[in-house]
Amino acid sequence: MRAGESADLFAPERPACPVPLKTVAPPRAVLPAAAAQTLSAELWLGVQVAAGAAQPGQEPSSALMRLATYAQRLTPRVALAPPDGLLLEVKGSLHLFGGVDGLRGEMDTACAHCGLRGTLALAPTPLAALIAARAGQPLVVLDSAQLIGQLAPLPLTALRWPPKLLDRLAYIGVRTIGQALRLPRAGFAQRFGAGQLKDLDRLTGHAGDPRERFEARVRFRRRRELSFELESRTALLAALGPLLAELERFLEARQCGVLELECRLWHRGHPPSRSTVRLAAPLADAARLAELLGERLGTLSLPAPVRACELRSGFPVPRVASSGTLWQPGEQGGSPEAGSPQLIERLRARLGSEAVHGLVCVQDHRPEAAWRAAEPGARSGEGSGGCRGAARPLWLLPAPRRLSERDGLPRYRGGLRLASEPERIETGWWDGAEVARDYYSALDTHGRRLWLFRERNRPHHWFLHGVFG
Amino acid sequence: MAADRSEYGEALPPRQELARLLAHPAIWRAGRAARMAVWPSGFPALDEGLPGGGWPQAGLIEILPSRLGVGELSLLMPVLAAVTRRPGARWCAWVAPSLRPFAPALEVFGVVLDRLLIVQASRSGARSLSLWAFEQALGSGACDIAFAWARQPRPRQIRRLHLAAQRGRTLGVLFRSRSEAEEASQALLRVAVEPLEGGVRVTLLKSRGGARGAIDLQWTARAEPAERT
Repeated sequence: MRAGESADLFAPERPACPVPLKTVAPPRAVLPAAAAQTLSAELWLGVQVAAGAAQPGQEPSSALMRLATYAQRLTPRVALAPPDGLLLEVKGSLHLFGGVDGLRGEMDTACAHCGLRGTLALAPTPLAALIAARAGQPLVVLDSAQLIGQLAPLPLTALRWPPKLLDRLAYIGVRTIGQALRLPRAGFAQRFGAGQLKDLDRLTGHAGDPRERFEARVRFRRRRELSFELESRTALLAALGPLLAELERFLEARQCGVLELECRLWHRGHPPSRSTVRLAAPLADAARLAELLGERLGTLSLPAPVRACELRSGFPVPRVASSGTLWQPGEQGGSPEAGSPQLIERLRARLGSEAVHGLVCVQDHRPEAAWRAAEPGARSGEGSGGCRGAARPLWLLPAPRRLSERDGLPRYRGGLRLASEPERIETGWWDGAEVARDYYSALDTHGRRLWLFRERNRPHHWFLHGVFG
Repeated sequence: MAADRSEYGEALPPRQELARLLAHPAIWRAGRAARMAVWPSGFPALDEGLPGGGWPQAGLIEILPSRLGVGELSLLMPVLAAVTRRPGARWCAWVAPSLRPFAPALEVFGVVLDRLLIVQASRSGARSLSLWAFEQALGSGACDIAFAWARQPRPRQIRRLHLAAQRGRTLGVLFRSRSEAEEASQALLRVAVEPLEGGVRVTLLKSRGGARGAIDLQWTARAEPAERT
């Protein structure tokens, strides 16, 4: 019966008319559900940092991320409350850091270290600690029995409910949490929303408040001092081999890959040379990274022999591991996609990333605006190909080339014979790149079909714009 | 020995039996095309002349137009369209194209644009880099077709490209100047292209096991979008 009693003690007050409250599934990777534990089993330290113009829903700032990383020294259970709050479960850490005062001192040091000014509050529920800190009240509530009494004078605005809702509550004279808690539950849920009732339950500890655990993002960085000064590319690659193997293990343990890898080479008496590999898809394979790095190093000219090398990765990105195929690409049943990222990455590593691109059509009648370069494999948007049925050349000149004229007819390395009716393209007045042209196809003396246009506006010059090929 | 030979002679199978034996794919007879996988060129008259009945699926061919833009690209549009429309198509790489490939025109020919890969080396030493990129595209096994526009490749480089194309099972198409027709080349096919009124004259300069001579092709309505206006 004891279990039943304690359940009764902490169960929410049963409303006269039961309100159908939707139970919310806890989000992934949660801290242990608070509902399963008694209230006093946890003590949360809420930190509210003075952020300039943080909006709800905004990403936490990098300073807050640093603070969260720092706070992991105080407790393993750290949760972010974006955009400007941080929560620490400190029940177990209290005696390690000299009680409440010692812990607050540590946290103040941490805030100062990260260049932030924070308000701290301690309470048995995470939401209570957070809104006390948001309200600027450095509350210390260690006993759950005192929680509601201490929370009662705090303003409702600290809960960050929608302003309209707060206005309606203020209209009926409800401005503090204590006043809101005194309202009948059924009516509150109906008038102000079940979500808001759930917030109040979380605040008082009647409902569980699972928080996603903060995990610090780590990058790989290793430096290796060489016992000989090296100059040749192959020797450098061999020296980087152990570092790459370590990077592979680092990434595999996290089931991640990197999108960016920087290699720095130190010289005597010169600034370090840098070379960066950027990848199309997350990669963790040391052999392929070595191949790409080899291409980058091949383009690097070293001012002096290398005496130390260092690898720095970008942030690890989750990677989908794939299994090798039995067939070669292109063979019957072979997957066509298997080799394609490698090819693009290898070409880009050597030629630069803008040297490899795909094509997409754009809905525009101006020939120069009817296509654009895109990532390889990108698909054209819907409704492209507006010029279907009209004569279009396979080759387009990078820019129209002015043609000389004789007797009003254009010449290009000899006379030209116009071979089609004109096609008028007159558009683009809305974006400043207006064109007004009459396009013709013409045959030159070599039998080539060219695509010309004559400007509709004075001085009516002729231009070559494409070759039919 | 004489007895042996007469015995062997008596055991000779009849003519049909011999033909059946010689149809074995491992036997190649001079003067006949070796069996190879081909893409239909889209022009029945050209298919008849080409060894195997189409463009080879793996290997390097050379196209030698009299001038850039006389119709050599239109000649390859049907095969490009057919290959890119295939389910599970690999990339079709264009290495160092001399002008900008115009996407709307390619779409009119039925080419699926998202299978195209344009590779344009813009830095110094672009010539050797283009050949390197072409070899990578051919040998990677990630491309069905790779086009390249190269200036004066050496015979050794062409041999390398051909081997890469066979390794990657890719149709490599090298566009060269007509003036280089006299140079030795390892390519499977060497095709000269000249313009005709409403078509193109294709001359097979070298075709291992195929026909020789000129073939006149007329653009069909589908292959020539201009006639639809």
